[in-house]
Parts: sequence; structure tokens; C-alpha cells
Amino acid sequence: MNPVMQWMEKHFIPIAGRIGSQRHLVAVRDGFVAIMPLIIIGSFAVLINNLPIDFFQSFMVNTFGEGWKTLGGNIWDGSFAVLSLLVVAGISYNLAKSYDVDSLSAALLAVGCYIILTPTTEDWGLSYAWTGSQGLFVGVLTALVVTELFRLLYQSKFTIKMPEGVPSGVVKSFRALIPAAVILLLVSGLQMFIAALTDGSIHELVFTVIQQPLQALGNTLPAALTITFLNQLLWFFGLHGTNILGPVIDSIYLPLLEENISLFAQGTSAVDVPYIVTKPFLDAYVFMGGTGTTLALIAAIFLVSASKHYRTIGKLSAPAGIFNINEPVMFGLPVVLNPVMFIPFLTIPVLLTLTSYFAIVIGFVPKTVALVPWTTPPLISGYLVTGGSFAGVVLQLFNLTLATVLYIPFIKAAMRADKKNFHSKGEQTDAGSTKVS
Amino acid sequence: MKILLVCSAGMSTSMLVDKMRKAAEAQGLEATIDATAEAGLANELETTNVILIGPQVRYLESKITSKAKPHGIKVAVIDSMAYGTMDGKKVLQQALSL
Repeated sequence: MNPVMQWMEKHFIPIAGRIGSQRHLVAVRDGFVAIMPLIIIGSFAVLINNLPIDFFQSFMVNTFGEGWKTLGGNIWDGSFAVLSLLVVAGISYNLAKSYDVDSLSAALLAVGCYIILTPTTEDWGLSYAWTGSQGLFVGVLTALVVTELFRLLYQSKFTIKMPEGVPSGVVKSFRALIPAAVILLLVSGLQMFIAALTDGSIHELVFTVIQQPLQALGNTLPAALTITFLNQLLWFFGLHGTNILGPVIDSIYLPLLEENISLFAQGTSAVDVPYIVTKPFLDAYVFMGGTGTTLALIAAIFLVSASKHYRTIGKLSAPAGIFNINEPVMFGLPVVLNPVMFIPFLTIPVLLTLTSYFAIVIGFVPKTVALVPWTTPPLISGYLVTGGSFAGVVLQLFNLTLATVLYIPFIKAAMRADKKNFHSKGEQTDAGSTKVS
Repeated sequence: MKILLVCSAGMSTSMLVDKMRKAAEAQGLEATIDATAEAGLANELETTNVILIGPQVRYLESKITSKAKPHGIKVAVIDSMAYGTMDGKKVLQQALSL
């Protein structure tokens, strides 16, 4: 196993690292992170509006009248219905910031450009059809291209310079003037060109040619297994897999979830909404306690390990683990680069993806119709993401038990390996330590 | 002096920060210790002396180093074992020894 790991450390890690710190991908990821508060609240608004508890529903209607759902509905309008608009601003802002150019101007300009490209309704309104998740790919592309152009022009000679003594706010707005003019002209021209050529908008084009096929692919079992596996592999080498894969996961799985939520809000039951694989699907059923279902690993330690080091790590990791933060156990046990942990850490989550997928396919567990913060503890998250179904909790319990049972033999093996090291090295605390630094 | 810990969302390292603060207090050391996400780093460069990077985002080291160097800030990746065991004292020592 060792030469393999050395090879991976030498060739795989630098590539993964470069992807993880690639400027545009980081901007996309941070753009999504920035809008999370809005869409999590938006998701809860829908969830509460549609909680399948008769007592609650009749209580709300009796107390506040039939219109009580408007409160949550409005929040939906301000979050999920304009998801792409928000993402455009978030990505553009972060990308401009990474170049250290005027990030607010860039974000405003990018939103303006996105609106130029977005179809309007007959009475001069923006169409929610494209400001929401259907326009996400166009949004990401617009934000990246516009900001990149803005950055080039902003840093070039073609800007208006102000004499000394002019307030910096004025200087800034004039400096952005020519770049903004050029970009708005270009985008407007592009929109005319597309309209003349296709009788539609860039949205329809990108949606049908790129976004829809990718999303259809994303909802398949092989895609879910691949994402899980890659995330595990990255984390095994101590890299933040969730961060590195974030841009892909968010741009493909967020729209799928949005469609589920949207249908759920209109009264479709959580069983009948279309998509199985979503972001909360992975978070709630597979990555319980963090990547690698490490909550089960901690449980396994408490069940079978007498080693002081293991139990200390277990105690240290459990409180954070409940909120799906697992760095202590990943680096402290360690799981990272630990040959004994390689097999269970990579296979158990993949197996759980399978069990969860089939539990949903056979209709035992409803699909996911809510986005909860990834730090929501397991069992609570299972109830919430399914729109208030205990079947989600049952699946989580089943998965946790299965994972714990499967981790147990490997914990025992790791303890035996440590004991051997203990005899040869004479110091237990060094056992299993790694060369990550 | 000011020590800044960088991880993905500033969540896991915030646990370590508490332990480091306690360790600093026990040693009678005057130090500001904080955790931040990578994106929040730019605003802190003026005032920071040492930046410690969480092992799970160690691929950021070269990028952060290039940003921090002009400010005379020392940068290092936190020893992963000390990180995992949340050993505030050891990490503080690492920061001081840079």
C-alpha cells in the first residue's frame, strides 16, 4: 500500500490542491456559500408551509386564516425564486475580490448583464422561470465571463483617471465607467444576436443543451456513487473534498433540490417529487458526522476500543461529530493516510449511498424536499429533509448501525496494528501517526 | 501578537482556537488568536503576525504564503496530529517557534 500512497501524495495531491485553490472554482464555491443563508431560510419557509401534520395545518389556518402561507411564500420569492440572480452577484463579487478590483461594481455589473440576457414576461416583468435555478448555469457563466472582462478592462489603460484630491468613491465609480460601458454593449449585442438567430434566449439554449443533460446525469446512481467516492478519496488524503467538489455539487444538485422543493410547495408529496440524489441526500444519509460517516466510526470506538488514545479521540470528536464536523477524528485517530482505515473509509459511504438510494426508489423513504444547514445533527436532519417523515430518521438509524458494525473489525485491526508498533517503537502515542505536514 | 487559524469555514479550527487561548493564558502570554475562512483573510493581513493553516486545506499554503509574505507574516500548516488531538498547547508552541 505504501508505494501507492507515496505515488498519490506526489501526483494526486498537487492536482487536487490546484483544483481546490483554482481562482474561478473558489469564486463559484464562495458565491454559493454566500447565498446559503437565504436559501436555507427559503427552504424552511416552504417546509413549514407544507409540513404534513394535520393538526399543525388546521391550527395555523384556524389561528391566522387561509392566507398564513403567504408569509413563507414571500420568503420563497426573495430566495429560491431569484437563486440565480443571487448567485451571479455572489460569484462575481468573490472573483473580483480575488483580483483585488472593485468587487461591488463588478457584482452590480454582472447582475445587470444577467438581466439583459434573461427573458421578460409580456407585461415587462422578469420571468421567475429563469431567475431561479433553471438559469443557474447561465448565471455562473455570466458572472465568470463578465467579471473576467471587467477585471481586464479595469486594470488596463482604458479607464478614466481622476486628478488627485477627488474623493475615492468618485474615483472608483469613474474608473468602472468605461469597463462597464464596453461590457454592457457587448452583452446587449450578444443578446440581440442570439434573439435574431434562435428566436429565444441564451437561457433556453444553455438549459437544454448543457444544464438539463448534466442534471439528468447527476440524478443517476453512478453519479452519486462517483461523487461519494471522490469525496472520500480526497478526504483520505487529508484534503477538504467537500470544498474541492463544492462547485460541481452545488451547480448540479442545487437545481435538482430546487425543483423538488418547488413541486413540494405546490402540493406534490415528498414521495412523488422527481429527484432522488440531491445535496441533502448526501449530507443527511451518507455523510453523517462528516465525510466517511465518522459518527459511526466514533460509535465503533466506544463499543470496542479499550485503547486510551482511541477513547480520548472519540470523546474529543463526539461533540463536534454530532454537528457533522469531523476534523478531530480525521487527523487525530488518524483516519487520514491510515492504511487500515483505507478500505472502510472509502467503501462504507459508497455502500450507504446504495442503501439510501434503494430505500428511496422502493418508496420507503420520501425524497429530499428541504435544505438544512450541513451542521444539522443526524436524525433531526432525516426528519427535516424528507419534509417531516420519520422514515428518513429510520433510514439514518439503519445507515448508522450498518456503518458502525462495518467499522468495528477495522477498529480492532487498527488497535492490533498499533500494539505491534507499540512493541517495536516503545511509545504508544506515536502509533499510527502520519507524515502529513 | 496575533495568530490567525485558517480552515474551510472557520468551524473546526474554532475549537482549537479556544484551547490555544487557554494555553496562552496559562503561560501568561498576550496573544490574540482567531479562526477565519480563507475568504476572510484579506481583511486581517495588516494586523496578523502568524497564520496557521488547517491540514485539510494545506493546498492553500503556497497561495496564502504569497499573500502574507509582503506583510512579514509567518505561515505554516498545523501539525496534523496536534490538530486532530486539539492540542492547543502544542499548536501554540508551533506558532511561537516560527
